[in-house]
Amino acid sequence: MAVLMAVAVFPILYSLWLSFFRMKLTRPNRTPFVWFENYTDLLGNELFWVSVARTVTFTVTSVAAIAVIALLVSLLLNQDFRGRRVLSTILLIPWAIPYVANALMWKWIYDSGYGALNGVLYQLDFIDKYMVWLGDQDKTIFLIANAFVWKEVPLATILLLVTLKSIPADLYQAARVDGAGIWQRFTHVTLPSMKPGFMLVMIYETMMAIRHFDLFFILTEGGPGDASHVLSWHIYVETFRNLSFGSGAAMSYILAIVTFVLAYFIIRFLGRRV
Amino acid sequence: MSTAQPQPRAVTGADYRRRQTIAAWTRTGVILVSSVVLLFYVLAPVAWLVSSSIQTEAEIVSVPPHWIPEEPTLQNFRAIFKATEEEEVTYENRSGVDPAAGGFIPSTAQNLLPAMWNSFLVATLVVIFNLLVGVPAAYAMAKIRYWGRNGSVYFILITRVIPDIALVVPFFLVIRKLGLLDTISSLVITYLAITVPFTVFILIQYFEGLPDELDKAARVDGCSRLQSLLRVFLPLSLPSLVAVVLFTFLTSWNEFLLALMFTQTEASQTLPILLASFTSDFTISFSFINAAGVLAIIPPVIVAILFERYIVSGLTAGAVKG
Repeated sequence: MAVLMAVAVFPILYSLWLSFFRMKLTRPNRTPFVWFENYTDLLGNELFWVSVARTVTFTVTSVAAIAVIALLVSLLLNQDFRGRRVLSTILLIPWAIPYVANALMWKWIYDSGYGALNGVLYQLDFIDKYMVWLGDQDKTIFLIANAFVWKEVPLATILLLVTLKSIPADLYQAARVDGAGIWQRFTHVTLPSMKPGFMLVMIYETMMAIRHFDLFFILTEGGPGDASHVLSWHIYVETFRNLSFGSGAAMSYILAIVTFVLAYFIIRFLGRRV
Repeated sequence: MSTAQPQPRAVTGADYRRRQTIAAWTRTGVILVSSVVLLFYVLAPVAWLVSSSIQTEAEIVSVPPHWIPEEPTLQNFRAIFKATEEEEVTYENRSGVDPAAGGFIPSTAQNLLPAMWNSFLVATLVVIFNLLVGVPAAYAMAKIRYWGRNGSVYFILITRVIPDIALVVPFFLVIRKLGLLDTISSLVITYLAITVPFTVFILIQYFEGLPDELDKAARVDGCSRLQSLLRVFLPLSLPSLVAVVLFTFLTSWNEFLLALMFTQTEASQTLPILLASFTSDFTISFSFINAAGVLAIIPPVIVAILFERYIVSGLTAGAVKG
């Protein structure tokens, strides 16, 4: 327990401490204590706000897509049919794949010269020449979100499936007796009962999306321009490329606080079961 | 409200049966179509990756792409496995293509197997230590009433949700101070910090589900706390232990960000790091990168398929995965 505390707590406090210093590894001997200057500097930093905007775009798009797709898939897997188990096993594959391999796979799919996306669209005559997908400022972030969604859907589906399974069959019987059609049963029984599951999935996936790093590192490195310059990438650049540990830590703290607020809800939700 | 509602036609028996059949067929149809769509959505990207990994360099650059390789080859995999044993892949014996035109097998190919070994070693060590720390902690929190118990449960939850990227800087400074940069132990230590809370969280839930009487009975029969844990609780909680082991293993195998910070040479580089370094090198053969990617996804996918039941139960018990 003590070990756990040491490993988990110390870095958190240390990071808070660091965020009050103007610490640059390029100037190792001058690390003045600057109180909140790292934070106030951030508020005036244009790139910081750009990265916040990108993070929001990425998170909203992917969480919405995950929720919709996972809902459809879990409705399907909640039916009883032959091959359901095989299907749900296969569904686990994206979840198990390492993010780096996932990124590599999508990078190759989006490849401007020989990628599958170009190949498919070209053969189906949707495009008449190959496109540089990841180089398009307007599309980049959505393409990355797509790779993220593909990987996260299985987990979300499994979580939703549990909620679906816990809806008592009586409710459907009652609705049927009352003359509710399929659609009415869905909107009046299924959807309201799934609310807790949905909340959990949305909050959890939001937490995952705002901190996501791996895909950005491999697919675009924040580019083109600043089109996919999200917060976690900004922290990485600031800390390990500009070697400015103080402001990196300050940003990490902002990210952590946002996550904490979200986590508060998730903990309250889970806390009922602990 | 409009009042002119058409009266429904009286439903005869034959009508009803026909409607039932139509409904059943529609249902089957919808299920079939959506299953196929889902299968395609999940498998197509992976299939493309595998298919590309066994194409020759000449074939992989064809436009439009060959979905199914015309002359499948294992040359990429051969290069990876042979690189360490017989010959180093050098500038001269790479695929014999002009490097300016891209498509050669990098000399770091020989690092792939060691990197896999590193990944495996780190993951295994993390699993072992994780159990050593996590199981007693979970038992204590679930079964022993002590001051600050609730506090520690919430604390565990909180540590689970801090973004890794927020921990990178302090971890980095600590690891550097300890002189552990570029060692396997740096990864083991930091991965433990990530995985132990999750383990504890899942196990607490499981232990709490087991009746307190078990613990009491064991203690009356003269077991110490430790014996009660080892002889009574562990055998009963085997399924959740399996889930915990799997998660820990997969998390360590897949982790990227921390490994990126702490490792520099093949002494400690894990597979994801090496893969990432391939992707940023434009001269490397595409099919080779894909082959490396295939190697990286094989172990976790096998694990996932074999232990599907445990994983799903673990995911739902923990409700969140780190």
